[in-house]
Amino acid sequence: MTFAALQEVVLDPSFPELDLALRRGRHVDREDLTWYALLTDAQDHLEAFYRRYGCELVHKADGYFYLLPTGEKLSRRQLGAGDMLVGQALALMYLDPATIERGGRVTTEDVVAQLVVVLGGDALIRAFNPKRKRIDERVAQKTVRTKVADGIRHLAALGFVDLDDEATLRLRPALLRFAEPVRGLSAPAEALAKLVADGEVALVEPDEPEVVEEAAEEVDEPVEEDADW
Amino acid sequence: MSARRHPEQIVAAIGELKPSLELGPVDICFLVALQVKADAASLTSFTEQQLEDVFALASAAVQPEADQVRRRATHAIQRLRAQRLLSRVDGQGVVRTGEFALSRLGSAIVEFYLEEDVLTRVSLGLLTNSLRTAIADVLATARVAETPEQWRDGVAGPLAVSIAELIAGIERRQRGLDFQQEDFQAEIRRLLEADWFGALDRCQELLESTSATLHELNEVLLRDGSVLLGLLHDIEELAVAANAVEAETAAHRLMDQIDRSAAWGAARQRAWSEYFQYVHRYLRDVVRLDPTRALTQRLRDQLAGLGQKFALAYAGAPPIRILRTVATPRDRAPVVRPRAPREKDPVAEAPEDPQALLDTKVRRALDGGAVALSSVTSEVTAELAGGERFLEAGRIAHTVAQLAHAKADVERPWVAVGDLEIEDWRLSR
Repeated sequence: MTFAALQEVVLDPSFPELDLALRRGRHVDREDLTWYALLTDAQDHLEAFYRRYGCELVHKADGYFYLLPTGEKLSRRQLGAGDMLVGQALALMYLDPATIERGGRVTTEDVVAQLVVVLGGDALIRAFNPKRKRIDERVAQKTVRTKVADGIRHLAALGFVDLDDEATLRLRPALLRFAEPVRGLSAPAEALAKLVADGEVALVEPDEPEVVEEAAEEVDEPVEEDADW
Repeated sequence: MSARRHPEQIVAAIGELKPSLELGPVDICFLVALQVKADAASLTSFTEQQLEDVFALASAAVQPEADQVRRRATHAIQRLRAQRLLSRVDGQGVVRTGEFALSRLGSAIVEFYLEEDVLTRVSLGLLTNSLRTAIADVLATARVAETPEQWRDGVAGPLAVSIAELIAGIERRQRGLDFQQEDFQAEIRRLLEADWFGALDRCQELLESTSATLHELNEVLLRDGSVLLGLLHDIEELAVAANAVEAETAAHRLMDQIDRSAAWGAARQRAWSEYFQYVHRYLRDVVRLDPTRALTQRLRDQLAGLGQKFALAYAGAPPIRILRTVATPRDRAPVVRPRAPREKDPVAEAPEDPQALLDTKVRRALDGGAVALSSVTSEVTAELAGGERFLEAGRIAHTVAQLAHAKADVERPWVAVGDLEIEDWRLSR
């Protein structure tokens, strides 16, 4: 189905829910069948529509859409350091053939194990307990598990994963966004600079994560406030 | 029968038997070798010598360096017999050397490992055709069955045994196909791990062949399932009309089994479709776009903290604020102190003598012509609540004795007064 005018798109029964989801940072892929079909069919109209709000409706070749604020009319947020670690670990698992065997299903424990393999146990504890000077191992490990679970829940709300139940999740294609800086043939620093210029990512200073992490514990801090939509 | 019992009962009954199985690779291979040998040579049982020969065969394959084969064969046979996997079938005891055969449990274990019972379009088609013929025969018998014996032997029996076995055969093969699918999924993983880009075509083939098989099976299950259900429904209706409970129950149970088989087909196809899409996307987005598998390593380095740290941006519009309707609070009444005195002065009142009241009531009853204690009690207690009547009956008897002459026989009759029963007196003034 194609839409002749924006009015027809707005009158589609799925539009209000889809619009709210996109404005709240949801990534929409083929598994969101109705939303994805609407976005594909009305892509031209919706790109122009959201541009008026200072946003880009991004459609990646991996098969997912999301809204990226480039102006000041719609709030723009960035993921906290903990969510970024979890997201990159999930993206790594998405690329792993071992995940194929289970149809893309992994457990929270698998995610923690993946982080331990790549970062090492101590670095992982330090990454998730940046403010603590004296670290009790048991408490720190519990904090890591809790923050990984929080990160997964947050990423699920943004459409990066699906939560099957408390402990199992299904990986979705939008996770490849975490691998964007290293996907191309160009050097990662160059690719990252381009992504920053496009507003896709924001650079984090080496001593900044602690501050961001603390602020991002409940909800990520908005970079810009005062949405007027 | 067991299907109608509670799971707790079944588990408790089996638990009481304290069953346990302990089988090593040699034992399992021995069992499999027995089955294969029996099939090849059409043997119904094995002599002790044949058992030892087959064990030697299995042992040579699994533990080629092991010695004392004969002694280990004796132990293995003993172990299998103790676990009821192998049973002696000649019944001759010590008279002569025995003959042995695999038990049902032993055969089931062998079947699991042989993996022959995988559902295919051909095997499913054959099974459903046999089922249709068998159920149609039973339906024909049900149409002419008149006596309970005819219903039991011609309908309920075949439904419960031969037809149930055929359906169980389909279910067993379904489980075989489930295992095969698990193997396929593991094989796709192994292929990709071994030869990342080179495995694409083989993965594609595996995916498509399984999808086609599942699609065909689901079609057969849906098409033939409805025919089988129709036949069984006719049998059930005839059984209800003839009041043949056993046949009705058997038909109903088979309908449940067929429904379950059809549901299996639909569920597996749904699950496979989800898996199929995931793997296809993986092959397209990950394998094809990263033929050298460099992305994984680069992402691993990025996660390990090599390079500049960054954070993904996303739209984060706050939820719309829906303001509450403003409600004007009502003025509360001011707190005041009561001005009137709270406590009242005591007032003198004449005491009420309960015995005098009772005397009056009893006297009134006697004046009214009551000539028996029961009549007086009935009249005086008429307005009292049930609990008070019993207490008052004693006081009435005491008062009556004072106000009238009571005449009592040696054998005083018990008379019912409402919900009480009292010894009656004749009264005069």
